[in-house]
Amino acid sequence: MPGLHKEKDIIDGCLSGSRRDQELLYRRYAPKLYAVCLQYAGNTEEARDVLQEGFIKIFENLSHFSHEGSFEGWMRRIIVNTALERYRSRYYLSRVDDIDEVTEPEADPDTDDFAGLEAYDLLNMIMELPPKYRMVFNLYAIEGYAHREISEMLGISEGTSKSNLSRARDILQKKVMILTGVTRRMVNV
Amino acid sequence: MFEREPNIDIVFRNGLKNMEVLPPPDVWDNIPHLPARRSRLRVVTGIAAGIAALVSLTLLANWYLRSNNDETRLAELTFPSGELQAVRIDGTASAPVAISDNLPAETAALPAAIDKRADEEVLIAPAVEPARLLADEDMNLSNRNEPGSLPASADDITQIVAGRLTGTTEDQALALTPAIPEATSQRFIVGASMSPSMGFSSGSEDMRLSELMNGERSRPSLTTGLTFGYKISDRLTIQSGIGLSSIGQTITGVDVFAGLSDFYAVKSSYLYSVETASGLILAGNTDLYLADGQERVETRVQGADPSKYQLTQVGDDIQQVFRYLELPLMLRYKVIDSKLGLNLSGGFAYGLLVDNMAYTGTGSDMVQVGYTEGVNIHNLSSQLGLGMEYNISSKISFNLEPVFKYYVTPISDIYGSFYKPYSVGVWSGFFFKF
Repeated sequence: MPGLHKEKDIIDGCLSGSRRDQELLYRRYAPKLYAVCLQYAGNTEEARDVLQEGFIKIFENLSHFSHEGSFEGWMRRIIVNTALERYRSRYYLSRVDDIDEVTEPEADPDTDDFAGLEAYDLLNMIMELPPKYRMVFNLYAIEGYAHREISEMLGISEGTSKSNLSRARDILQKKVMILTGVTRRMVNV
Repeated sequence: MFEREPNIDIVFRNGLKNMEVLPPPDVWDNIPHLPARRSRLRVVTGIAAGIAALVSLTLLANWYLRSNNDETRLAELTFPSGELQAVRIDGTASAPVAISDNLPAETAALPAAIDKRADEEVLIAPAVEPARLLADEDMNLSNRNEPGSLPASADDITQIVAGRLTGTTEDQALALTPAIPEATSQRFIVGASMSPSMGFSSGSEDMRLSELMNGERSRPSLTTGLTFGYKISDRLTIQSGIGLSSIGQTITGVDVFAGLSDFYAVKSSYLYSVETASGLILAGNTDLYLADGQERVETRVQGADPSKYQLTQVGDDIQQVFRYLELPLMLRYKVIDSKLGLNLSGGFAYGLLVDNMAYTGTGSDMVQVGYTEGVNIHNLSSQLGLGMEYNISSKISFNLEPVFKYYVTPISDIYGSFYKPYSVGVWSGFFFKF
């Protein structure tokens, strides 16, 4: 009964080398983390490798977890970093023209029109993005990193990060609208 | 007028926030078991503590046995009245004591007489303070010939042998001269020894581990070894060698049945696993059906109930055996150096796992079950022994030495540092000195 096990007990068990607790930890968090892997990897084969490599790092570095923040967040960061490492080693980032100013979409908390979108649809849209757009979009829009941080993570300029984000947003917006049937509406002020 | 577009960032962030996707089932299988990670500081501290304890014990035993010997000698000192009188020596009096000018020459020469021949009972006749006698005994013999010290001559010594005054001859005086130990020239030691031993496990705070240990029983094992030693001094020897040690336990209450492959056959590295304190036994013998009542056995058999098959029971327990090739590094201190000596030994041994097996039944009925997963290939053990050494001749000796052995590193990392068994054995063997 995995749900009955406290997170700290499982972590302690993993630290003492218990294979049973390691499996318990994996079974509990792998589904969420695999979704993250798919977001970054773009295909199931790559995502599977990221998940496997990420969990090995999680077990290896478990003693460094301080129990101060969210454990899930800590694991997620390891998975994201693993995906980034693989990305950096596999893809050559073709530079695009830097854009100094990117038009940020207006904050619009009312996203009810898109509430019907299934998570799987959103995931598929991200997975279909070209890698360079996908990485920047994930890091900026989902993880909340700033362009300066993203530029350091991916070894690109801030301008490139901004332009990649802009391009990713355009592509995703179109896909969302096509899927939901929402077209650009003229709103009378 | 403006275009109303969704905030695409928020749509994706919220939409994917709690998304879960089941990963492919083989991902977990490809994640290797990662052992417990202990800090290097803890290991070093443990080893240092072990060495400190060993040195303390050696010094304590040495002090205790020496003080016992002193009392024995004191009991041999007699007074003119013929009464035997034991006097407790104050430790501070053990420093060399200057001999007063008005003391008779006989008194000053007494230390030489104390180094008695083994086959003679030597009693000191004059009424001399026993403390001074023992203090003088500790003086270096060479100091006695220094200017100002009194020479020891045969005439100065009066001996009482078997209760009679015998006087002293020059021959006897020569015999009293301390001999250089013969052993000093025999610096190397080679020996072979063996030890029946029994392993034990200390209790654990881990509830599951305690449950598992309750269902396990230590099994006797035999350890053999070849020893090579070098005498650093007359009393201290450094030893190494090579040995084959085994530890193991009996996992009780696991019923083992054979014949499963006639009814259920799949391609799998194992069908059953048994959780034990020292790891997970994987039953690679897929002809076996394992069952127990303590939730230790798990199975990969699906869509079948082997308990309903006509199977033959081949055992009701599983023997779990680990054999290690050991390379010890020991220090041996000779506490009593005589024909029947007493040694205190201690040190560490590196062990390399060379055999890991689990079986049921015995003799010709023995059935291989599989092996234990999660057992450390390398280990470090410390051991402490107190042994008797009987010198059969000047070159050959027989040793009998009870040894306590403790595994500094855990046998298995399944339960981390909690599972560190210890064993008690009695080493016996012959040693050849050259």
